Amino acid sequence: MSNGLLLWFLILIPAVAGGVCVLMPSVKTAFAVMCTCVFSLSLLGVFAINTVFMQSGTILFAASRWLFMDALSAYNLFVMLIIFCLSSVYACVYFAEELRCKHLTLKQARMFTCLWCEALAAMMVVLLSNNLGIMWVGMEATTLITAFLICVHVSRESLEAMWKYILICSVGVAFAFLGTLLSAAAAKGFALGAHDALLWTTMRAHAAELDPVLIRAAFIFLLVGYGTKAGLAPMHSWLPDAHSQSPAPVSAIFSGFMLNAALYCIMRYVPIIEAATGNTSWGLGLLAGFGLFSMIVAAAFIMFQNDLKRLLAYHSIEHLGIIALGLGLGGLGTFAALFHTLNHSLCKTLSFFAAGRLGQVLGSNDMEKMSGALRVWPVWGLGIFCSLLALLGIAPFALFISEFQILKAAIDSNSVVALVVFLVGAGVVFVGALGHAIPLAWGTPHESFRPLKTTFVECVLVIFPLAVLLALGLWMPGPLHTAINAAADIIRTTGSVTYISAGVIQ
Amino acid sequence: MESAIEIMMILLVLSDLALLGQSRLRTCISIVSFQGMLLGVFAFISQINVLTPRIIVIAGASFVIKGFVFPYLLRRDIQESGAQHEIDPFVGYILSVLAGLVMLSFSLWLGGKLPLKTVLNTTLVVPAALTTMLTGLFLIVGRKNALTQCLGYIILENGIYIIGIVFVVEIPVLVELGILLDMFVAVLVMGIAIYHINREFDHLDADRLNILKG
Repeated sequence: MSNGLLLWFLILIPAVAGGVCVLMPSVKTAFAVMCTCVFSLSLLGVFAINTVFMQSGTILFAASRWLFMDALSAYNLFVMLIIFCLSSVYACVYFAEELRCKHLTLKQARMFTCLWCEALAAMMVVLLSNNLGIMWVGMEATTLITAFLICVHVSRESLEAMWKYILICSVGVAFAFLGTLLSAAAAKGFALGAHDALLWTTMRAHAAELDPVLIRAAFIFLLVGYGTKAGLAPMHSWLPDAHSQSPAPVSAIFSGFMLNAALYCIMRYVPIIEAATGNTSWGLGLLAGFGLFSMIVAAAFIMFQNDLKRLLAYHSIEHLGIIALGLGLGGLGTFAALFHTLNHSLCKTLSFFAAGRLGQVLGSNDMEKMSGALRVWPVWGLGIFCSLLALLGIAPFALFISEFQILKAAIDSNSVVALVVFLVGAGVVFVGALGHAIPLAWGTPHESFRPLKTTFVECVLVIFPLAVLLALGLWMPGPLHTAINAAADIIRTTGSVTYISAGVIQ
Repeated sequence: MESAIEIMMILLVLSDLALLGQSRLRTCISIVSFQGMLLGVFAFISQINVLTPRIIVIAGASFVIKGFVFPYLLRRDIQESGAQHEIDPFVGYILSVLAGLVMLSFSLWLGGKLPLKTVLNTTLVVPAALTTMLTGLFLIVGRKNALTQCLGYIILENGIYIIGIVFVVEIPVLVELGILLDMFVAVLVMGIAIYHINREFDHLDADRLNILKG
């Protein structure tokens, strides 16, 4: 199969599968189509990712260079596919329970599965498009598609969350659009045809010739715009509401990948802005600033949180802040930030899985009412407790390693402010969240409870992410290291520009 | 041609101010509809010397979508909800218009500072676009009605769209159409959300959507 066709299939399969889901006659078949789509897509995706990483510098192109896959998109695709596979399986488990309680109608199931596949297609467009305009279109599409996922069950709370989500994210992403236009205007210096004007590869190759004033203005708008979607403070206000009100599988993909997709868009602009401003770290400084601010804001809210899903949402803000900080520090920080993306996504999906299942059984997300989770349901109780510990950055888990690397990057670059704020933020979060986690796991359950049956699939859903996080914390496999390094080299300005013409494959 | 464009820009700013001072929702929608048609014509006129099929498609699409489809979608919401007026906004109407004038002078000042080279021989385009964007933001922040906020979003996009037409002639038609499609879906989704909000809460006050806190 030609590589061009491969990229087309990656986008078209979920888009078509979404349409098929709407036509399905029963809830079970709709979910079966959804899972088949996600897993077959993953096989294709793994094949494509393998092609990119087999030989360093390989870039796949399609649609006359409008679609492409380099190491950075391949790595992000890898993270996305893991998250979507886990979450799809979990969605089946989660909605099977709702179906048993008669909370899910066929119409809702069709809508959910359809939008799930379409959201996957939209994120795929974001990751694979070389055209920055199409990337923006994909990002806005994710907002619109996922909006209805928040209110699968229509209620006052979910409508409120949905309205805030669409309005704030649409306005935010509109700013990113202005940024995209301004960066296109900055590229006017080198006369290009309509076809090449917004291509990332062209921009990157000519970055040094961009109009420095316009590209700076563009980057500010892009950072604020995509930053809104990524949940960076102070544009984060939609995030806790949307995460807490949507069904758990949706919260899992929101936190596990949608935020990363927005940050991915910023990552694409980082090397351009750095080269355009003569490597003065102007853009990186801004990014690091937003990251630090997000950490502090999240830490403050984590201290006084009662709702488990909101607590996890604020953890997302904190961790996205850490990733932004890592990107902003550059060097080792970029590597660590990308590594942290994988770790955070895995850990956060697991914690939302657990929160969702426990919430279903206990009928509330209030941590007070959920106390003693380990005794109520050992498997998911273990899941929530271990994932909370991992989110705090406790030692053997992989998040500790990546956070430690970011800290080291801060020391290497002599940024005392970053170091101090990072440590204070992480310290406050540690104390605050541990105070929530211990009663949650070991407190006395409020009501008498019947013993709950745990299926094999649920055990796998808990054990697999934990095992991976533990393994990655103790030992980094060679291929993963190479892959992350290759992806980081695309963001780091120290990486040479020549690769763009080096390994072009059609 | 320059004078035609200047007249259009003045009409644009006037429609912004009219929107700021208007409380009747139906009139607000009509103003936004007028602005949408204005933009379609503007896209056409501004490139009239270098007319390509691309311009005709984009100008036509935005004329139809912004001028007719959006107003239709939003009027349907009004019919459902029976809401006629914006009730008790955060910022009063006279004050809003004054704020609009302040935004206009700020935009005139900023437009002079920005190093944007237009293809057109007029200095009014950038300030008008900026005023429109700021008006959109003002409506989103300063009004409570979900429908007015949605109008604010459309206006904000209109402002960005003008900047796009004037400065970035090279955007491929596929991207432009994608952007229009996204906007269309955004307004559609907001319309459906407004419909649900009205059914669940019996009002359109985004201000009173305040269950979720902390």
